[in-house]
Amino acid sequence: MRTRNVTLLMLIFGIVVGTFHCAVTHAQNAPEASEKGKEVYEQSCAHCHGTEGRGDGSAAENLLPKPRDFTRGLYKIRSTESGQLPTDQDLFDIITIGMPGSSMPGWETSLSAADRWEVVAYIKTFYDGFKESEAPPRQISLEGKIAYSEESVETGKGLYVELGCVECHGNVGRGDGTSAPTLTDEWGFQTWPANLAQSWNFRGGADTEAIFKRFIGGIAGSPMPAFEGDSFLHFGLTSEESKRLTELENKDEMTEAEEAESEQFYEKMDEAVNIALNRVEGIELTAAEQQTYDDAMQVVYEKSWHLANYVKSLAPEERPEPAIGKNVLRSQYVQDELPGMEDAAWETLQSSHFPLVGQVVIEPRQFNPTIDSVNIKSFYNDTEVAFLFIWDDRTHTTGDETDETTGKPLEDALAIQFPVKVPQGPTAPKPYFLWGGRLPVYLWHWKASAPEQVVELTAKGINSAEVQDAQGALQAQGAYTDGQYKLWVKRALKTDDKKDLQLEPGVFVPIAFSAWDGANGDVDTKRVMSSWYTFVLEPVPSSRRFVYPPLIAVLSLGLLFGLRAVVQRRNS
Amino acid sequence: MKTYLLAGVALLLACCYVGNAFAADSDAEVEMLVFPKSYAAGSVSGGGTISGVVTFEGDLPEMKVLEITKDQAVCGATDKYDESLVVGEGNALKNTIVYLIDVSKGKDFDKATKLEIDQKGCKFSPHVQIVPVGARLTMLNTDKVNHNVHIFSSINKPVNKQQTKNRRKMPLAGVKKAEGPVSVKCDIHGWMSAWIAYVPHPYFAVTNEKGEFTLEDVPAGTYKLGYWHEACGTNSSSPASVTVEAGGAATQNFTLKLK
Repeated sequence: MRTRNVTLLMLIFGIVVGTFHCAVTHAQNAPEASEKGKEVYEQSCAHCHGTEGRGDGSAAENLLPKPRDFTRGLYKIRSTESGQLPTDQDLFDIITIGMPGSSMPGWETSLSAADRWEVVAYIKTFYDGFKESEAPPRQISLEGKIAYSEESVETGKGLYVELGCVECHGNVGRGDGTSAPTLTDEWGFQTWPANLAQSWNFRGGADTEAIFKRFIGGIAGSPMPAFEGDSFLHFGLTSEESKRLTELENKDEMTEAEEAESEQFYEKMDEAVNIALNRVEGIELTAAEQQTYDDAMQVVYEKSWHLANYVKSLAPEERPEPAIGKNVLRSQYVQDELPGMEDAAWETLQSSHFPLVGQVVIEPRQFNPTIDSVNIKSFYNDTEVAFLFIWDDRTHTTGDETDETTGKPLEDALAIQFPVKVPQGPTAPKPYFLWGGRLPVYLWHWKASAPEQVVELTAKGINSAEVQDAQGALQAQGAYTDGQYKLWVKRALKTDDKKDLQLEPGVFVPIAFSAWDGANGDVDTKRVMSSWYTFVLEPVPSSRRFVYPPLIAVLSLGLLFGLRAVVQRRNS
Repeated sequence: MKTYLLAGVALLLACCYVGNAFAADSDAEVEMLVFPKSYAAGSVSGGGTISGVVTFEGDLPEMKVLEITKDQAVCGATDKYDESLVVGEGNALKNTIVYLIDVSKGKDFDKATKLEIDQKGCKFSPHVQIVPVGARLTMLNTDKVNHNVHIFSSINKPVNKQQTKNRRKMPLAGVKKAEGPVSVKCDIHGWMSAWIAYVPHPYFAVTNEKGEFTLEDVPAGTYKLGYWHEACGTNSSSPASVTVEAGGAATQNFTLKLK
């Protein structure tokens, strides 16, 4: 009943908002800049973006990515071509939706649509280019979209390599390309390429159209180039011509006729490039030139849709649900030996998703985390439990470099936190989530420099972890491939060490995580972490279920027959 | 829920926290060239020549070997040096732009000049390139690796275009306004660096390895002579004054220090 009410409410809300939204967006352009826009801007935006729009508000210092500097007219998320300003609608949409994965929130609920339009108008006053440009910005055409299909994804995969996307985004798109660690933005701040497997962090949305637009238009102010027409191989040739030219170019020796043929292709390509440049320079194209350009761009757009479909294929449709509520981490019982790290048995389990956030309570803090989450699976048997931890990290850092302030090695690591004693009952206090306090915590600490070792710690605070005297209860195996860590850990359910947590099926155990990305300067308290989640060895349904129900059935049946016999005897 | 709470706390602290966690390169501010308000191009007869040598003064820092982080076979075949300060024999300072600040009329650009920057061994060459406003600069890719040409213009539209390993020559659209020098980078190979000056008149020269520059066909008159160097800055606030006579040759040398 409650669900139905909520649905109804949402429906009504949807209709109201929809109507309002349509009414407002009918006007294609923002209103003239007004005092109202200034007022709203200074109240809601200036803290980060600065009163003069330079991206230098009082909160800007610790934010990364930095708040946008509006005075340069560089906007990342646009529906327009490279070098073009965004449309008013683009600006309105960003204010409404926000920038996922950054500090920019969506303002849909906190500012009215009218106020958001006023802000759009006001923001535009920070850059003269908006006033100077007479023609509306050129938008990227979304016509001729190629539907998602296995075939299209396969074609896109080839283009992903051909166009050099791997350089920054890595082999399978986890943002772990060989150029990833050295990237900086327009203002000299370090920036990381998108992890294409985490669509929920895509700044401008993760639908295929959004990906297509980012790709064609580029992301201004970042290292992401615009893939304008002539960035593609053989711009100006049809697919058949391109194939033929590749064939010719691969020949050891060309005949005179073949030379002439390839020369024609080169001329055709030069012409197309020349027309494209004329267009950028603002020279009006003749009808014939426009036709040549459109033909060339059709090939480019087709390829771009394939590429967008490939990128789309790399990530789940939505962020997985965090492992809270009913969705806790459940270790599954197996009778036999627990599977090793590479065992196919892991594939049969769904992983539990644990989001991680920067630690900002205790100095040094991490305001700009690079690790998003950790995914976990677990099996147990009568004596042991095994875990498989999987998390994305763009770099494999094993402590070759040291932190300047602490002198400690910068390296990737993961820590799993439990209470030493399981709280009795749901209201019993848990240790403080930052590695304990009055109540101690029991920790497993793994580092990338020693991938086959997990150290057991006891802690009563984030800076007071102690290595336990008794070690060796844990077996571990770690591996890093294509921007992803896999860590396999196995321990006995019961140990002799009083400082260890003892595990029992059916008991809900608090569990929490910390992770370090050495390349992002993570060391000590500068890290990402979670608060307490819950883990349980999923109880095995008792074997007595095979005994009692049949027994009761037999007894009842016996009773029935007995009764019948008694009744029959009485009747006769 | 707790995660959201934590995230909320994170944001709140991010907003309140005042410290000096990091700062971007503080020397990002580039000193600019000075351009005349207008320039009339025509034919120059009996022009003079201004030439000279630019030398470096001060303790010469050791040339930094750049760290090559990828594509070793192509990029790391030979040592690459930081070219922000190239000093040759006799303290000759390479890559200094020397130019007329206040010229309002004179010769036209020499259309035959090839406007190219090559990407060879993951290094831009030349390190400083003069490009006339409206002219097309061609980027060459001699390397068989992917590059991206990232030009950090702020007056003109910034450019960031992929030049894949198959693309030998990539012409870029001409720009509308004089600007510069602007930085050119390749984000794929973060150590690659060059400068482009988009100029409205042809009286610009870049010093060679001997520190020499020559400005030819200068109409007779007295001019402010300016320089720009990546590491040594400009003399825009107090440019040299040079008088050149019809058919004559004037000499002006400069001695530059690190800024």
